[in-house]
Amino acid sequence: MSTLFANDRPGQQPAGRRILALWFPYLPVERILRTRLGRGWRTGEVPERAPLVVSRHEDNRRVIACLDERAEALGLKRGLGIADARAMHPQIEIVEAEPEADRRLLAALADWCDRYTPLVAICGEDGLFLDITGCAHLFGGEEAMLKDVVARLAGQGFRALAALASTPGMAWAGARFLDGARIPAGGEREALSALPLAALRLDAETCARLESVGLRTVGMVMAAPRAPLARRFGAQLLLRLDQALGNVEEAISPRLPVPTLGVERHLIEPVSATDDIERLVLSLAETLKGDLERRGEGVRALELALFRVDGFVFRLKLGLSRPLRDPPAIQRLFREKLAVSQIEADFGFEMIRLSALATAPFEDEQTALTGRNENVEEDLAQFADRVRARLGQGALVQPRLVASHLPERAVSFMPFRAGNAAVRLREAPVPLIERPIRLLARPEPVEVAAAEIPEGPPASFRWRRVLYRVARAEGPERIAPEWWRDRKDAPTRDYFRVEDEEGRRYWLFRQGLYGTTPDLPRWYLHGLFA
Amino acid sequence: MSTAGPPAYAEFAVQSNFSFLRAASRPEELVITARLYKYKAMGLADRNTVAGVVRAWSKAKVEGLDFHPGCRLVFSNSGPDVLAYPRDRAGWGRLCRMLTVANERGEKGAPDLRQDDFFEWADGMSLAVLPDLSQPEDALLAFLRSARQRFGDAVWLGHAPLYHGDDRWRLEQAAALSRASQLPLMAVNDVLYHDAERRSLLDVVTAIRLNRPIAEVGYELSVNAERHMKPVAEMARLFRRHPQAIAETIRFAQTLKFSLGELTHFYPDETTKDPQAELERLTWEGARKRYPGGLPEKVRQSIVTELELIAQLGYAPYFLTVHDIVRYAREERGILCQGRGSAANSTVCFCLHITEVDPAIHQLLFERFMSVERHEPPDIDVDFEHERRDEVMAYIYEKYSGSHTALAAAVTSYRGRSALREVAKAFGLSQDAQAALSGSIWGWSNDVGEDEARAGGLDTADKVTAHIVRHANELLEFPRHLTQHVGGFIITQDRLDEFVPIIRTAMEERRMVEWDKDDLDAVGLLKVDILALGMLSCLRRCFDLLEQHYGHHWPRRLELTDLHRDQQKAVYDMLCRADSIGVFQVESRAQMSMLPRLKPKEFYDLVIEVAIVRPGPIQGDMVHPYLRRREGKEPEEYPREELRRILGRTKGVPLFQEQVMQIAIEIGGFSASEADQLRRSMATFRRTGRVAMYKERMVRAMVKKGYPEEFALRCFKQIEGFGEYGFPESHAASFALLVYASAWFKAFYPDVFCAAILNSQPMGFYGPGQLVRDAREHGIEVRTVDVNLSQWDATLEESPFDPARIAPKHREMKDVIRSSHAVRLGLRQVKGLAEADMLRLIEQRGSGYTSVRDLWLRTNLSPSVIERLAEADAFRSMGLDRRAALWAARALDRKQAAEGLPLFDRPEVRLPDREPKTKLPVMPLSEHVIRDYRAQSFSLKAHPLAFLRAELAREDIVPNGELDKVRNGRRITVAGVVLIRQRPGSAKGVIFMTIEDETGTANIIVWPKVFETFRPIVLGARLVRVTGKLQSASGVIHVVADRIEDISWRLEKLSEAGQQVDFRSPVDETKRPVVEDRRSRHPSVAMPKGRNFH
Repeated sequence: MSTLFANDRPGQQPAGRRILALWFPYLPVERILRTRLGRGWRTGEVPERAPLVVSRHEDNRRVIACLDERAEALGLKRGLGIADARAMHPQIEIVEAEPEADRRLLAALADWCDRYTPLVAICGEDGLFLDITGCAHLFGGEEAMLKDVVARLAGQGFRALAALASTPGMAWAGARFLDGARIPAGGEREALSALPLAALRLDAETCARLESVGLRTVGMVMAAPRAPLARRFGAQLLLRLDQALGNVEEAISPRLPVPTLGVERHLIEPVSATDDIERLVLSLAETLKGDLERRGEGVRALELALFRVDGFVFRLKLGLSRPLRDPPAIQRLFREKLAVSQIEADFGFEMIRLSALATAPFEDEQTALTGRNENVEEDLAQFADRVRARLGQGALVQPRLVASHLPERAVSFMPFRAGNAAVRLREAPVPLIERPIRLLARPEPVEVAAAEIPEGPPASFRWRRVLYRVARAEGPERIAPEWWRDRKDAPTRDYFRVEDEEGRRYWLFRQGLYGTTPDLPRWYLHGLFA
Repeated sequence: MSTAGPPAYAEFAVQSNFSFLRAASRPEELVITARLYKYKAMGLADRNTVAGVVRAWSKAKVEGLDFHPGCRLVFSNSGPDVLAYPRDRAGWGRLCRMLTVANERGEKGAPDLRQDDFFEWADGMSLAVLPDLSQPEDALLAFLRSARQRFGDAVWLGHAPLYHGDDRWRLEQAAALSRASQLPLMAVNDVLYHDAERRSLLDVVTAIRLNRPIAEVGYELSVNAERHMKPVAEMARLFRRHPQAIAETIRFAQTLKFSLGELTHFYPDETTKDPQAELERLTWEGARKRYPGGLPEKVRQSIVTELELIAQLGYAPYFLTVHDIVRYAREERGILCQGRGSAANSTVCFCLHITEVDPAIHQLLFERFMSVERHEPPDIDVDFEHERRDEVMAYIYEKYSGSHTALAAAVTSYRGRSALREVAKAFGLSQDAQAALSGSIWGWSNDVGEDEARAGGLDTADKVTAHIVRHANELLEFPRHLTQHVGGFIITQDRLDEFVPIIRTAMEERRMVEWDKDDLDAVGLLKVDILALGMLSCLRRCFDLLEQHYGHHWPRRLELTDLHRDQQKAVYDMLCRADSIGVFQVESRAQMSMLPRLKPKEFYDLVIEVAIVRPGPIQGDMVHPYLRRREGKEPEEYPREELRRILGRTKGVPLFQEQVMQIAIEIGGFSASEADQLRRSMATFRRTGRVAMYKERMVRAMVKKGYPEEFALRCFKQIEGFGEYGFPESHAASFALLVYASAWFKAFYPDVFCAAILNSQPMGFYGPGQLVRDAREHGIEVRTVDVNLSQWDATLEESPFDPARIAPKHREMKDVIRSSHAVRLGLRQVKGLAEADMLRLIEQRGSGYTSVRDLWLRTNLSPSVIERLAEADAFRSMGLDRRAALWAARALDRKQAAEGLPLFDRPEVRLPDREPKTKLPVMPLSEHVIRDYRAQSFSLKAHPLAFLRAELAREDIVPNGELDKVRNGRRITVAGVVLIRQRPGSAKGVIFMTIEDETGTANIIVWPKVFETFRPIVLGARLVRVTGKLQSASGVIHVVADRIEDISWRLEKLSEAGQQVDFRSPVDETKRPVVEDRRSRHPSVAMPKGRNFH
């Protein structure tokens, strides 16, 4: 959501201000279809595919959040329950919404719009504002620019609806209700008057209340006396109206976050060698360290921006396990990152900027006299950051207990996060039954010559060609398959703890019960006790 | 090896599905399995309840198994579980007392049993402690020793194998404990299900109980499938190292001498010393009142016979109790009431004013009500006004006190819908998927199949779907919990809590027993049914309004009996035309199509009408033969003369339970009690499966007497149908009285009837919209809700009756209707208004409110309530239409309330209105109509379809009012708002839909196949277009659908928004997503969803 703030003094409009609003009504489906079919999916040949619907949760039901044109053609609408939709049209494909991915995509689109103007703001979940004041002539005038934006986006696989006006509010309304329009300054009143109330960016509740008294177009609202309106529907209504008309100025906030801290270096001679970049990172990090120390903070997220001579910008971002300010560590992390990022230096970079995107209080620690950091957890965190900077976020995992009776399912792996390893183990309820120290990754078949029927232990078994005589045995512990996920005929296991003549202890199981299958049950070794 | 078979074994650690969501087999299944494995005996011990023992006991009687009722005591304050089995009647009484104490202490459904209770109450029982061997040994031993000390050799130590890998150690540990505590070791298997296959169902119910998806239940799921009943040899093998433990089970069984059959019931003596004499006095006194012109000999004779029988069986106190309850309701509270069911077969009940069916006129079958042979108590059901039944119940509690009376329980069990929803949830389906799934099940239907799953949006090829369908089916009819029976009171002379444990209900002041109606019947406990009937409330209001507004027509207040006597041809003529909306019982679709065919001309025809449109006669194929004979198209035939006496009054076709029983008795050679048992076994035949035996016997006996086998089979089929749905004639007659009474009001005073029935909502088949429409079609003026004119209830206002307003189809009523009032709708008609708020509004009204603001200041109602009134267009009397009223209501706010406060004292001072005038567009009529629907589900202004008529006419859609002009068999298209969907159990999946347009209603028949194709539309659409073949027979018109379309979207055109210019970009007309419209604002949502009946 963009931050919109208003200034109550009318007439403060910068002269000649022009705003281009873009609306991406299909963004979530486009994100999915572009991944599958490539960015040319809208223009190229269309393969056969099911109508696509993106669902999200709303008040405990799944509803349609977005849908492609094929699904629309079936008569489906946003807000309709997924269950209803599927009952009506079983052929539709349904994908769960990923608002975070959509937001990232919209941000990328905003970045991409840098080519037209540096002043790009994100508007809601599916819109952009471009402040193109004084830019249009570079693209052959407003008309040509509008066409260019829409056509280029279409080439990228996006359907964008666009409008140009002198106020963000008017442009917003134009993109949604008057696609392709260019509204001249002063033409807002006329353009708005026929539009429905939704064009004023009002919440649904206010719209409904207005409609119930018959005010269903912006024109009707404009014609009504202001005081009674404000009394009944609140100040927001008039504010929105005034913003759209330009009576009240509305600023759009630039998209790129203003970094908390940033240091940059302009280079007289462009650099392109990785070594040089790394050196620059170290030197920038040292400057940054001073700033951080003054604030008692460390960084949690860093961005390295490399400005190429031709205007292209590479941005490398790092998230950190714990607040950091140590320059060599920062350099190391970017070294890993640079090694795996595809940076095309071409003509070289003319500016380099290191920004702290997020900071957090940094607790100074007494360094050991040896000068080396002996905090193990700290090391572990740094190690993890380095490995992940190089190998990706999923490279490190940690085990987690799962409440399952089946031994091989009683543990699973989750992404590593420093500091939570110990907690997890304690959380899981553990059954009181003894389990072997070592569980084989896969049960290994053993030969059993004779066992007590129906459910006794074997007298001896042969594992990896060695024969073991069973001296003592305890069991059976009967573990049936997890019927709701295993195959219907999955056999039950009878586990035995057995001890051989030399006191070594094994965990064996017989798969299947006697008499339940035509074949004799088979035996396996699944674990070793100490 | 010895050749002897396995040793004798009895199982006592058994839980059934009455341990609610902790075990996975029915009591009956457990009994059958115990019998199969040749157990010497079996006990049932559910968790802190005996709710399932009667079922097991009944089944065990049939199976010939030695059964013992017991309970598994599970303590809330630690300590091992204990199996408690009463040794004698006194022990049973103490067990019930113990559980009652625990129930009273705990929450509903969660008894709080403490160890102290056990030590206080467990005398006279054999006890088996089931120690959890993972607990500290010292504590266990201490408990065992104190149990031993307290109850001596009545205590055993129970032990079950667990298959956790250490069973050998555990068994030795238990044996050691047994030695240390001197308690004999007894083998049990801690059974949770009868067969290993049920393990997965146990996991499902565990997930339901814990309210977590199965995949997250983890270690609470069963690790294996060993908690099933095992063959004796297997039990012997498991305990081979301690064979004595097996032998102890038999010794334990031998100590148990108590059987549920010993429970005998003593009815409380009413205040008098000689109840029989008192009953006789009241009966003869009542008889004199009933027959002021002299007692007919036939009636006198019946009274004598009945009184003798009552004396012989000692039921006089029971009759006195019921009489007193009815007397209290009628005389002290003025509550309308009337007995129903089999009690209406009793002349004594008629004389006591409990029932209303006159024995002088009707042939009663007293045996249906009471017989010497049958050792079952009579069952008197009395209906009271549904809104005032609580007063009667309070009287009963006060009179008999909590330890002598309680309600019967009703077992709420899983039906198709709930089973599917809960199982789907257990498998982790999202809530809307659960809802979609269970929504695809029709009502109480028990079909849970792939069709339903598919309709609910599930992939039937999917493994999870298969699991869901399978387990939902297994879960069907499992008890979920106990709730109070609608009104069955058990009243006892001795302490009730020594018969059966008493438990709390959802209502703080009410208590119920742990057994349901069938269980109580099985053990012979007497109950009185205090039922609620909406039509009685409606009729009482009718009498009130009649007295208030038509006193000049009737010199004294009328009563039900007056109407029964006032038999009028006009009333029957009206019913013959199926003009029966709102009339008790005969207003349903099926009844309405029967009326013109049956053409009731006298009271007995109504008795038949009520009884014939029931699944019993329909499934027994009795309807058509009866109609053919009635119309004289087929001769009345009696295979044997003796049948003429039984079946003569129904033209040779058995329609009533009494007739079928008589056939069984007089031709099938059954005794009266056997015949009644046969009837009862039908009702429960799913559970017991005794039907086949009776069938063979009856058919053989009939064939032997020379009846055609086909006739005999038909008779039996009839009984089968009756089992669950049939009516006894006495019951039909009681209901027919109400049919006549309500039809009487509808015929002569449609204004009174309309107001009374609106004020008694919800009841009956139709919503207020149809009731209002029907009244208007009968020429009654219905006036809008208004803040200055309406009361909470609908009222009558003087208004001359104009016969010209009567719709042509009802023109015959022109000279019948005696109304001279208009109906003023009450504020209750507006959705979402609180009665208390509206009473304040009425109280403060004085000579009327002059403005919205005036109303607000004087009533101090919240602006949202006033907005609601404005939305309902209730300010017309002050010259404000909906829009103007809303505009004014929206201007109310708290800040201004503060400055307005001084005005509160002087409401006559009007606030100067300095606001600039705002010109609001006039709200189109169609928008008004939509908003009327939103506020009160109907509109007096117009029907929504009137606005679409031109468009519909272009599509050749026939108005419903013109269907009678269409040739039979033609394929036509109709359209309308869906009022009612009905799928009668008897109609094999056929759905009847009623749709309505501005000209009338159309009846749609949807065959199952068509339903499958259009299921979401049939179930979900508000406005439909139906194409199909017109069928017309005896003036009843149906459209048999072959195509159904959802045209709800057309209602959009009625709202202003829908009439707006399309703002969508001209270059891209169709594909542009319009800015999302919130669903709840769609005009179609204002339309009622349609009512579903099953």
